[in-house]
Amino acid sequence: MTPAIEVRGLCRSFRQRGGLLGQDRTVVAVDDVSFTLAGGGVLGVVGESGCGKSTLARIILGLLPPTAGEVLVEGRRLAAMDRRARARLIQPVFQDPFASLNPRRRIRDIVAMPLVAQGDIPARQVADRAAEMLARVGLSAEQAERYPAQLSGGQRQRVAIARALVLRPRIVICDEPTSALDVSVQAQILNLLAELRRELNLTYLFISHNLAVVEHVATEVAVMYLGRIVERATADALFRAPQHPYTKALLASVLTPEPGLGVPDVGLGETLPDPANIPPACRFHPRCPVAEPRCATTTPHAIMTAGGAAECLLLEGAGKP
Amino acid sequence: MSTSDRGAPPARSPNPPRQSPPLLEIEELRVTFGRTAAVRGASFSLEKGETHCVVGESGCGKSVTALAVMGLLARGARREAARLEFAGQDLRALSERQLSALRGDRMAMIFQEPMTSLNPAYTVGSQMAEVFTRHRGGSRRAALDRAADLLARVGITAPGMRLGQFPHQLSGGLRQRVMIAMALMCDPELLIADEPTTALDVTVQAQILRLLAELQRDLGLGILLITHDLGIVARIADRVSVMYAGEVVESAPTAALFAAPSHPYTRGLLACVPVPGKVKREEALGSIPGMVPRIPPGFTGCAFRDRCDHAAPECAGAVPRQQAGAHEVLCRLPPGWAA
Ligand SMILES: Nc1ncnc2c1ncn2[C@@H]1O[C@H](COP(=O)(O)OP(=O)(O)OP(=O)(O)O)[C@@H](O)[C@H]1O
Ligand SMILES: Nc1ncnc2c1ncn2[C@@H]1O[C@H](COP(=O)(O)OP(=O)(O)OP(=O)(O)O)[C@@H](O)[C@H]1O
Ligand code: SF4
Ligand SMILES: [Mg+2]
Ligand SMILES: [Mg+2]
Repeated sequence: MTPAIEVRGLCRSFRQRGGLLGQDRTVVAVDDVSFTLAGGGVLGVVGESGCGKSTLARIILGLLPPTAGEVLVEGRRLAAMDRRARARLIQPVFQDPFASLNPRRRIRDIVAMPLVAQGDIPARQVADRAAEMLARVGLSAEQAERYPAQLSGGQRQRVAIARALVLRPRIVICDEPTSALDVSVQAQILNLLAELRRELNLTYLFISHNLAVVEHVATEVAVMYLGRIVERATADALFRAPQHPYTKALLASVLTPEPGLGVPDVGLGETLPDPANIPPACRFHPRCPVAEPRCATTTPHAIMTAGGAAECLLLEGAGKP
Repeated sequence: MSTSDRGAPPARSPNPPRQSPPLLEIEELRVTFGRTAAVRGASFSLEKGETHCVVGESGCGKSVTALAVMGLLARGARREAARLEFAGQDLRALSERQLSALRGDRMAMIFQEPMTSLNPAYTVGSQMAEVFTRHRGGSRRAALDRAADLLARVGITAPGMRLGQFPHQLSGGLRQRVMIAMALMCDPELLIADEPTTALDVTVQAQILRLLAELQRDLGLGILLITHDLGIVARIADRVSVMYAGEVVESAPTAALFAAPSHPYTRGLLACVPVPGKVKREEALGSIPGMVPRIPPGFTGCAFRDRCDHAAPECAGAVPRQQAGAHEVLCRLPPGWAA
């Protein structure tokens, strides 16, 4: 079966204008990333701020060209696709719904916009489908007449979801969709996304800082570190038995609501990585709590694990170069 | 009632004999903005070396409470309280000059929005050094050394270079850490931290929370920490107050709150968060239907009643503040109803 998303050798770097000393720097945001995601799955993408999650999402959405590599969505190259066809296939939901909703338009018009942009849907049907989608995400007819500023943050995120789904796309790319919301509203939105996925048989790429949220929604997880996926596994395997030292540290940093356990020192040290200056060999070695001398000289390859694959020399066994 | 796991704050009986006054004592705080009541009779107290967390949904009055203590409310706000004391000193009796001498020195605040306390026109180094020399005197050089040391402790690499940068040259996460370091410049006795780690990665967050715990142990720092994150609360708080629509609806030692959450709102909040390691993927998360209401003037009764599964006609009348040891709940339900 054709995967919903297939990514091959994706790279993206950015030139950044000089800092204090005025030199330009090249930031490698995504570095040779490959994966496939089967239809109906939810791939959670986690990793520290700046590791390239949003860049990956924007490339997959066709909003940003890669420096190298290619993306196939349901077997087709987005670049070669007409904008309207692309909109029917894949849609984004971003973190800040306020920034992405036109403040001067009523909610019903915002949600109708993707249908109107298709150009060939009769006005009557546009109105009906928009109204149906708004009801589906739990917004009333009265709320549909309002402007974005007259809604709460959670309601605005519902609008963004309705707008993303009104064309019945197959794939939705969610970039931190609940990070700006209260926990109570977050729960409502996560429940809504889960229901809609079952009902409409959607595929999600779900980016989040919040590992508990990812554990709740994802079927598979990719852990990014400085532009690479250093571990990928089924959600069950990854949360039960993480293999990469970075995944282990990340999971150990999660503060579960269990009183009395304190805040762990996960041994990552205090030096944060610089994406303009990626360490050689294993890029994680300067922070890795279990690094060996070879980690600074040998580049790890992806090694199969019980539920997926990880890039760590220790998994390649002792003694190998 | 269980006590905290981390160093025992003095036991709280209704009239405890005290050698020294609490670090912070707020009773019946009310803040109104015109016809909006933002804080409606909230009480908190904080001992030296203690961490008191305040949780609750957006708009429930957490930041306004913090700003009211610091004397930094927006113009037009009205503040009233039965008591508002820092280390036994009535904050309402202080002149603006006396207050500014306290702020940044003995009591420091980390603001929810970092740019509110960073001046875009000055470098990080000059702002941090200024705080120190203003309150403590000494040379600029010594102040800059201290600033660099604190930046390193909040996990900022090349602190010397950062001192020379302007706030807009820093990412959100770096700015937040600069703010934290700046608040610690004068070794405050009281730190009010409003969502100090929300923009940070879990790994950096853990590092900063450990630093705060260390300062607390070494210097007896008292922390009033405002957060949405129940994981942080569980791990670092000695005591938790849950706010809803301007009121403290439940307050208890941390272990007691998590073991026996008693206000329906607290129970709702806890059900909303997926717990790592215990998620049931096919099950929906708990959620609290509806939204935080706007509270009109003259409102009476429980503000949660429109969203509460247990609401009864009497919830529209005066609701009792029930107390079992150090565990307080503002609800009509009998103690132990949830068990
Ligand atoms: N348009 C751009 N120009 C220059 N640099 C960029 C641009 N977009 C991203 N970057 C850089 O690429 C790297 C990856 O950024 P990206 O936004 O993908 O990270 P992220 O994982 O989404 O982080 P966060 O969790 O903070 O959202 C960062 O170092 C960022 O500064
Ligand atoms: N300057 C102001 N003028 C008028 N109303 C205000 C002002 N500042 C706050 N409020 C109102 O007071 C109430 C409490 O706000 P506050 O900022 O304390 O919420 P919060 O609990 O900190 O929320 P969040 O979690 O979103 O930070 C809100 O209804 C808010 O709209
Ligand atoms: S390869 Fe070495 S440095 Fe890299 S994660 Fe594994 S042990 Fe750590
Ligand atoms: Mg991002
Ligand atoms: Mg606030």
